[in-house]
Amino acid sequence: MSVLEVRNLGIRFGGLQALAEVDIDVREWEIVGLIGPNGAGKTTFFNCVMGVYKPTTGTVQYRDEQVVGRPTHERVRLGIGRTFQNIGLVKVLPVMENMLIAQHAKARYGVLSGLLGLRASLEQEKVLKDNALEILDFMGLVDYRNAVVASLPYGLQKLTEIAAVLASDPEFLLLDEPTSGMSPEEAHAFGDLLLKLRTELNLTVLMIEHHVPLVVRVCDYVYCLNFGRLLAEGRPEEIRRHPEVVAAYLGEEHATA
Amino acid sequence: MAVRKKNRSKPATEIVSVPDVEEVDAIEEVREAFEAPMLPVRAEPGPTFAGWVARRGLLAAIIFGVLLAPQFVDNVRENMISFALVYVVIGLSINILIGYAGQISLGHQAFVGVGAFTSAYIVSNSHLSFWIGLALAGLTGAGAALLLGLVALRLRGLYLALITLAYGFVAQNSIFNIPALTGGGAGAEAPRPAGFTGNMAFVYLCFIILAVLMYVDWRLVRSKVGRAIFAIRENELAAASFGINVTAYKLIAFVISGVFAGIGGSLFAHRSTVVVSADFNFALALTFVLMVVVGGLGSRVGVFIGSAFFALFPLIFNRFSKYTGLIGALLLLLTLTTFPGGIAQQIAPILRWFGGAPLRGHGKSQVIQSGGAGVRP
Repeated sequence: MSVLEVRNLGIRFGGLQALAEVDIDVREWEIVGLIGPNGAGKTTFFNCVMGVYKPTTGTVQYRDEQVVGRPTHERVRLGIGRTFQNIGLVKVLPVMENMLIAQHAKARYGVLSGLLGLRASLEQEKVLKDNALEILDFMGLVDYRNAVVASLPYGLQKLTEIAAVLASDPEFLLLDEPTSGMSPEEAHAFGDLLLKLRTELNLTVLMIEHHVPLVVRVCDYVYCLNFGRLLAEGRPEEIRRHPEVVAAYLGEEHATA
Repeated sequence: MAVRKKNRSKPATEIVSVPDVEEVDAIEEVREAFEAPMLPVRAEPGPTFAGWVARRGLLAAIIFGVLLAPQFVDNVRENMISFALVYVVIGLSINILIGYAGQISLGHQAFVGVGAFTSAYIVSNSHLSFWIGLALAGLTGAGAALLLGLVALRLRGLYLALITLAYGFVAQNSIFNIPALTGGGAGAEAPRPAGFTGNMAFVYLCFIILAVLMYVDWRLVRSKVGRAIFAIRENELAAASFGINVTAYKLIAFVISGVFAGIGGSLFAHRSTVVVSADFNFALALTFVLMVVVGGLGSRVGVFIGSAFFALFPLIFNRFSKYTGLIGALLLLLTLTTFPGGIAQQIAPILRWFGGAPLRGHGKSQVIQSGGAGVRP
């Protein structure tokens, strides 16, 4: 069964056709890569899936539900988690606060209960805090729980974002260039982390990624976008040798690799 | 493109093997890979027992000093203290909107006025109790703020500021001059509640209500409500991706701020026992914004000090009261150029000391400024 099934997705901004006729499937437990040159429409695709933009044409189905037209926060409650290329955290707040913000949808108490500090809210807050600590510990970030996010090195900020998204208990992750700004060693380690997370947390992943070694190593399937259209799809080794992809994205020299 | 270059220098064989997941301790590996640029985590020993006694003792002394202040001053000064407390309530209201939610309000006197006239009307025209008037003042304040919140969903920055400005003017010049509701130019009577008619008693009424609102403000910050509001201020897209209903929580911020402002308005009216539309002019709205910015956006302590200062200065130094605007402007300049976190940032080392840290100067990188929650003690 497909976790994400996108059919004939298209979106137009004025005179610019940012996406057209995009069909993408992500199946249970897969790590799927979405690659393509800058401006190909990868992040726009994410924004359509998350409901930030309303597509002009096409459908987006998450498991059994058609999600086009539903607001972002409702889609998140279905179990979709998303990270951003430039880190979607509140950087002026400490790591711990961000971990709690990320669990907003899990906090089962009313606004009034929270404002008056009723017992239900205090108990829930404790549960959220314990859960946050557990995940920070798992990610090796627990020592940084009181550090302001902006004061951490970039790589750690990226990890913190992943930790925050995991805290919201997602089943399906959309990762927007998770390794941008990382060194090759960090990116390699990140690949192992991703495989580990999939095994331990039963995650399905769709990620935008420029780091080709990582894509080849961890992805089960790869889609390549170019100028808003699907250029190719296939197993990573096929895509890496696909002449059009190589020409558009990897550079001419790789055509013979 | 950097990726392409890196890729070229690597042999293809290096990138095809998929490791056996079970055998690799991925977390350990990530830790190691990221360890190099990690900052050392400084574990500081907490204060000694004597240190805690000193901190708690001094804090208690300050709080009791403030609470007991009305006992040691004359009748006129008691009235000044209640005036300052009303300003602090209003300051908390503005702080929620500007400090927490990052929205601008140059027409906050409208919410305060709506609360003041509602409460006055309930008590003197409907002959109901002050407490009902207070509650309804909170409700109407919330309604007035909600109206502005709906505008704020569509407008930002300068345009929103202009709308709030116009909102305040319209409220003062039109709505607050409807004779049937507000007594027109003559104003509305707002008698004090039984048991709190004396100046001293009214000060303590203000203290009680302020304490309740401070508690709510504290819970706001420590609950999902406040966190959602901060997240929206910093990054709406990310907030939505964490499941936060951006539209709803923006409006909730306006409503909570409106409730506080309405309650502040009710106290404002009953403190002076008569309320006229001329009280709610633009200069007042400007003072409200100034006192919160100078006090320190996002900090309860800062807002308390800033609001009390701006309330008391023209009363205590009434010979210089015509220079209040000038002094406010200078303080604002000083704040923005040296300590954007306001008084709260200036006294941050002291606040940290009360929290258990050793007494130390400002340091270089301890406070990251965004004009908001970063300066909270």
